Amino acid sequence: MAPIALLSHYRAFTRDMLHNLLNIGGLALGIATAILLGLYVRFETSYETWLPDHEKTYLVQTVWSIPQSPVNGAYHYTMGGLLEQLREDFPGLRGTRIRGGEDGGVVIVDGTAEKADVAQVDPQFLEVLQLELVSGRDALGDPSAMMISQSAARRFFGADDPIGQRLTVAMDEARAYEVAGVFRDPPANSALRLGILIPMPRAVPEPSWLRWGSTSLQTFLRFETPQEARAFEEQLGAFVDRRGTIFGDRPSEVQQLRLLPIADWHLEPEGPASASRSLTVKALGLVGLLTLAIAMVNYVNLATARAVMRAREVAMRKVLGADRPALVRQYLGEAVMTVAIAALLALVLAEIGLPLVNAAGGLSLDLPYAVVVPVLAGMVLVIGLLAGFYPALLLSRYQPSQVLASARSPGGGRAGARVRELLVIGQFGLAIAFMIGAAVLFAQTRHMREADPGFAREGLIAVLSLRDSLVEPAQRRAFAEAARALPQVSHVALGNTGVGGSGSTNAQNVPLPGVPGEGPSLNWEIVGPQFFETYGARLIAGRVFDAAREADEYSGRPGGAPVNIVINAPAVGTLGFASAEEAIGKTVGGDRPRTIIGVIDPLRFLSPREAVPPTYYIFTREPETTSSVMASVRFRGDPEATLSDLEATWQRTVPQFPFDAQTAQHRLQRFNDEDERAMRLFTIGACLAVVIGCVGLWGLASFNTARRVREIGIRKTLGASTADVIRVLVGQFLRPVLLANLVAWPLAWLAMDRWLGGFADRIALSPLFFLGAGLLAALIAVGTVWGQSLRAARADPGWALRHD
Amino acid sequence: MIELRDIERRYISDEVETTALAGINLDIAEGEFVAIMGPSGCGKSTLLNTLGTIDRPTAGRYLFNGRDLAQLPERELARFRADALGFVFQSFNLIDELTIEENVALGLAYRKDGGPRKERVAAAMDRVGIAHRARHFPHQLSGGQQQRAAIARAIVGDPKLILADEPTGNLDTLNGEQVMNILMTLNEAGATIVMVTHSPSHADIAKRRIDMLDGRIVASAAMAL
Repeated sequence: MAPIALLSHYRAFTRDMLHNLLNIGGLALGIATAILLGLYVRFETSYETWLPDHEKTYLVQTVWSIPQSPVNGAYHYTMGGLLEQLREDFPGLRGTRIRGGEDGGVVIVDGTAEKADVAQVDPQFLEVLQLELVSGRDALGDPSAMMISQSAARRFFGADDPIGQRLTVAMDEARAYEVAGVFRDPPANSALRLGILIPMPRAVPEPSWLRWGSTSLQTFLRFETPQEARAFEEQLGAFVDRRGTIFGDRPSEVQQLRLLPIADWHLEPEGPASASRSLTVKALGLVGLLTLAIAMVNYVNLATARAVMRAREVAMRKVLGADRPALVRQYLGEAVMTVAIAALLALVLAEIGLPLVNAAGGLSLDLPYAVVVPVLAGMVLVIGLLAGFYPALLLSRYQPSQVLASARSPGGGRAGARVRELLVIGQFGLAIAFMIGAAVLFAQTRHMREADPGFAREGLIAVLSLRDSLVEPAQRRAFAEAARALPQVSHVALGNTGVGGSGSTNAQNVPLPGVPGEGPSLNWEIVGPQFFETYGARLIAGRVFDAAREADEYSGRPGGAPVNIVINAPAVGTLGFASAEEAIGKTVGGDRPRTIIGVIDPLRFLSPREAVPPTYYIFTREPETTSSVMASVRFRGDPEATLSDLEATWQRTVPQFPFDAQTAQHRLQRFNDEDERAMRLFTIGACLAVVIGCVGLWGLASFNTARRVREIGIRKTLGASTADVIRVLVGQFLRPVLLANLVAWPLAWLAMDRWLGGFADRIALSPLFFLGAGLLAALIAVGTVWGQSLRAARADPGWALRHD
Repeated sequence: MIELRDIERRYISDEVETTALAGINLDIAEGEFVAIMGPSGCGKSTLLNTLGTIDRPTAGRYLFNGRDLAQLPERELARFRADALGFVFQSFNLIDELTIEENVALGLAYRKDGGPRKERVAAAMDRVGIAHRARHFPHQLSGGQQQRAAIARAIVGDPKLILADEPTGNLDTLNGEQVMNILMTLNEAGATIVMVTHSPSHADIAKRRIDMLDGRIVASAAMAL
């Protein structure tokens, strides 16, 4: 840009400082929002990409397709011995397994057990998942050696060199291992929770290791090219048919195996869960882009409006010999410069806003300048050219003879006004859609927090440390009895289910009398005495289990004798009964008969996103002997004090294992965490979109009001009151904001209906959300332009008539 | 120097067609000082704008030193204006964000020739008596001073033709006289000037007076010396 043009631009900028700062500020806010949300999306989509050769690494998914089953879908776990069978059928296959992981085992130090992220892995582990070795060696082929992470080394050995030292680790059994190597901790963008790696046992560690249908660990495979992976995947159907004969004639119709690129693992939902995480990431990415779009639209609108004030200057430059390309270049250059200033300000705002976004989103992001600065430079050019193009085109089109002959600057004519109105409709349409979205998100997350799970959340604690297979049944029983003796405890129940889940899911087909086939699939759970009483389950029909009734005990039943079961309400319809009452006393299950003695309201132990599956419960007086058992404790009074008392009780009865318990509120809240995080981030984005829209509206109001001063003088001379004039001025902006609802409502309805579709228990999309957002937007718009309109409306008519 | 042949200018809107110029034929020789007069709406300014190539005729030919300007593309017309013309307007049309010196320098900004710009700007300001206000902004000057600055901008490039559209229209008598004296001096130095004016006394200063009515030239007479 020529120096004189630069000078002219600078002086025009400083002469109209407030408007220009508002315009730049709005654009900076939009760019900063796009940066921050872009960082979030980048983080969420970067999981496992830090792994060398991540593009060659795949997770094996177990996919269930059982008719009418509540557990259908793809899971990230496989049968324990799958890799061994795959290697038999596909020699040369490269793969590894992870059994355990987060809180997968305990480390015993001075007789005290501490939970740790212990995982059993194969000797080839580091060939497939190439964690960086910091010291020592890869000793995963040595059954007496272990490898630990840097943070585990600090935790257990402090500043000492851990290499060569020994640590007792318990997973299946307690053993001492020698530390042979230390690896770098996986970064924050990793789903791998690995602190201690010990060798996979050579002997089969559990009965279900080679049982098709069981899932107990993660299996990873490595292929050099995607084509090789695809070719292998196509052979898996035949493999399942050969090996999975337990599923009948066509095993691959019941269970499939699929390869999931490891970089896709984090966002891939499991089982029947909806793709909420992936949807959230996409939605927030879209919010970032749309907020940037709103800011750009705003900038174009304001820049165009202000630019017409320079029409005379443009006309004179044309008269003096400036050609159109020179003028276009000048104004594009000004736009790029202004956007560059906005971009610098955006970086500052992003740095300031980052802690807020991290707090709202539960993240720990930082600004990677090496990436952000070049991207921003590119954005400056693109946005500057895009945003400056229309004003530059508009200005360069002015005919000098028309501009110079006119007493006032052109406003772009009716076409210009229409374009500005359309831009306001567009940006407020998006802002209103955001407001509706934020309101719906808030309402749904509140609904999930407060929704009736079928039991009272308060006064309930889940004790999970009984799950460990190393805890003896006698110890579990002793703990339960001691816990019952606590004065504030009213009930203690054991079972392999409870609030928040026990970490295992069991499902079985239940043949129906007179109906051919295997019958529908139901979940099943084992519960002990007082289970339903502890939870306060609501009985719909029949009765619950009674420990005094021999017939209720499932174990030790004579062969072929029916087992008494209690079913939940969803199971009534699944089993073909018209009502709960009709189901009482009926026997289902074919050659494994089960007689229904009671029907209860569903107990929602897991995510409110998923429907409570049809479930039947079986009873045992010795629940401490079942696997994955947990205790549910009903109490009165202070939860923290009760947790403390329970921990003391545990340490008396099971001293060698760490205590692990949480309140029911805490257990259920984690299912809401992701949605609440999304809601907070979305709300921040929505607020910013509205703020940017208001900045634009304020600027436009200022421009339009200035142009209409003379008109106001004429109206007042003809008898208009201040109120009449305000109605005219405010109405000019209210119209596009009201029309914006026509854009916003369909958009918001489509988006929110889709998002709510991921919840089994969802709120209705009430018209109040839409009307409320529309009304709020109108009020905001009126509030934004009110001050200027009032000032202009109060102007002295004589002065106004002389105004040019 | 200038030949206009059958120049017409029509404005067509949704419902109305207005003929601003109808069959204008006009010759202007180099060094002439021509005053154009007529009632409001007779097409004076349109004729001036046509001469200045900031308004294109609907029909006809405009020859400037033998070159038909009516057919030239916009880019070449811009070049022509930068190199050959100087404009003075009734409402001065100085750029508010630039100082007087910078406004005058703008008259050279779009020319391709080099040369000592600073000296030329200083000389132009001296010629019109505005050099002492070089660092001031337009809003800090009186109307007369602003118009003198506009004249300096118009002459800084030694244009072949100066077009003045009611240059004294917004000035009081004294300032108007001063501006007319400047124009007269420029003409005596060899500048060709075409001026639109409502003032008969100012028109008398010119060497030829053209009267217009309803888009046509109705009279053209040399002024008595």
